[in-house]
Amino acid sequence: MNGRKREVARRLFAYEFNRSTHKIGGEDERSPVYVLTPTGMRCNRVFVVGVLLDKEETRPDTNFWRIRVSDPTGVFIGYVGRFQPDALETILEVEPPELVAIVAKVRLFEGETRNFASLRPESIAVVDSDVRDYWVCETARLTLERIKQMEERSSEDAELAWQIYNPDLEEYRTIVRQAVQSVVAEYGVVEEAKEKAAREEEKEEIEEIEDIDEFEEEFDFEEEEWDLSDILGE
Amino acid sequence: MEDRINELTEQIVKRFKDSGFDVDAKEVSKRLKLLIFEFKVPESEAVRTVTNYLMKELDISREQLVAESPLVKIADITTPGKWVSLKAKVVQLWDATSPNVSQVGLIGDETGIIKFVIWAKAGKGEVEEGKSYLFKNVVTDSFGGRMQVNVNRSSQIVEIDEDVQLPPRELEVVGALIAIQQNSGLIKRCKLCNRTMTKDICPVHGKVEGYDDLRIKGVVDDGENYYEVILNEDNIRALTGIGLNEARKIAEEKLDRNAVLTELKTRLLGRYFRVVGTRGERYLIVREVEFLKPDIKTIAGEIL
Ligand SMILES: [Zn+2]
Repeated sequence: MNGRKREVARRLFAYEFNRSTHKIGGEDERSPVYVLTPTGMRCNRVFVVGVLLDKEETRPDTNFWRIRVSDPTGVFIGYVGRFQPDALETILEVEPPELVAIVAKVRLFEGETRNFASLRPESIAVVDSDVRDYWVCETARLTLERIKQMEERSSEDAELAWQIYNPDLEEYRTIVRQAVQSVVAEYGVVEEAKEKAAREEEKEEIEEIEDIDEFEEEFDFEEEEWDLSDILGE
Repeated sequence: MEDRINELTEQIVKRFKDSGFDVDAKEVSKRLKLLIFEFKVPESEAVRTVTNYLMKELDISREQLVAESPLVKIADITTPGKWVSLKAKVVQLWDATSPNVSQVGLIGDETGIIKFVIWAKAGKGEVEEGKSYLFKNVVTDSFGGRMQVNVNRSSQIVEIDEDVQLPPRELEVVGALIAIQQNSGLIKRCKLCNRTMTKDICPVHGKVEGYDDLRIKGVVDDGENYYEVILNEDNIRALTGIGLNEARKIAEEKLDRNAVLTELKTRLLGRYFRVVGTRGERYLIVREVEFLKPDIKTIAGEIL
């Protein structure tokens, strides 16, 4: 409250999320931090629906969990700890693979070579495939709208996204189409979708290992600071 | 400034011409300049004074000066000092706080709602809430950063048969329930004032007896906007089958009133809903709510 507007939960696919490296705001403690995505969206909070592929305590008995959640375009990485009690409660109970809906704040970690976006869930709920399918369609529609705005260069953020990412919009359009096709093709066949996502995951994991090591080092270093800022800021 | 004088002059000349009278633009302009530049009279007063002077000169009554200012929509009122006419419904009358004001309140048309003031000096009849009127020749004004319209002696208020529609207050939203706030679930309300009690304490009446109620304060978000919603017992029962009695049972079994909130979160958070409700100051008071049953094939087809 305090007259501060609530942040809208933005929709975007993992493919776009994982290519988001630019931070806006956060100069002082009170101003909110946004991640600018390649299609020119500012996000501070997101709503994501996907398959929880695995959960893993970062170190034994820390109650600090790293989760991996897949949508049809890629994998979101998230961190859940004791400062997100609602999300933690679900994570302790749920056994992957399972479809989940996540409301999360977006975090950007500064790596050696580039920045990495990750999720810090506020809440996690187990949902059914109807929710996932609608989310995919909704996210597709909103992403296509942003792509159109990028083409029209109709906002400051679109202009900024061109400067920073110079994205190949056709690539994003293809990803969106594939995502929608995947829910239509597998509509109602949840088990199959889960398995497929899990298989793809294994493949991607191998490719990602290098990045993730770097990512975790950064994370260990700054963890304490974020927890503090959060208590002060919210 | 010269431009503004010319603009006002044209307005006055046109108003007389439309009523079948010719007036001298130079004379009008001269008098306006005198009043506005020399005597620092506000524009609307200057226009009225010059108009009155001309009516006296030409010996015409207010009724003969029928031509009215352009009919506009409320949403188009953006600058002060314009003469306009409006077709609008009286939404609400407030208590007039000054003896100079005869009536004050809100009027609306299908494009918006605006504050209006009828000055006592205007000598107009009273308007009634819920009735529609043609407000002829009212002056736009800005007060405290918001636009309003003033009814003065040159204005006319005519009741009309038409029922002017107001902007939709009822809203339909499709979005995900992304948050349920703490003071939701099985709550206690004060028996005296119905306010929500925390730890059996009413914020106004202190430690008094309370009664059980079931409600959800939550946030529905469609990715572009968020809506703070309030679901009542009926809404919650329609969605989950959990009414007040079931909620009490859950609380008793678990020996914890919070168990109800946990159960509602498990069943409702992260789902999509279609919500119809009335938009209040802050909250959308929900009339109808249902789980979204999306026709994915059709929706996907439209995207592809
Ligand atoms: Zn009370």
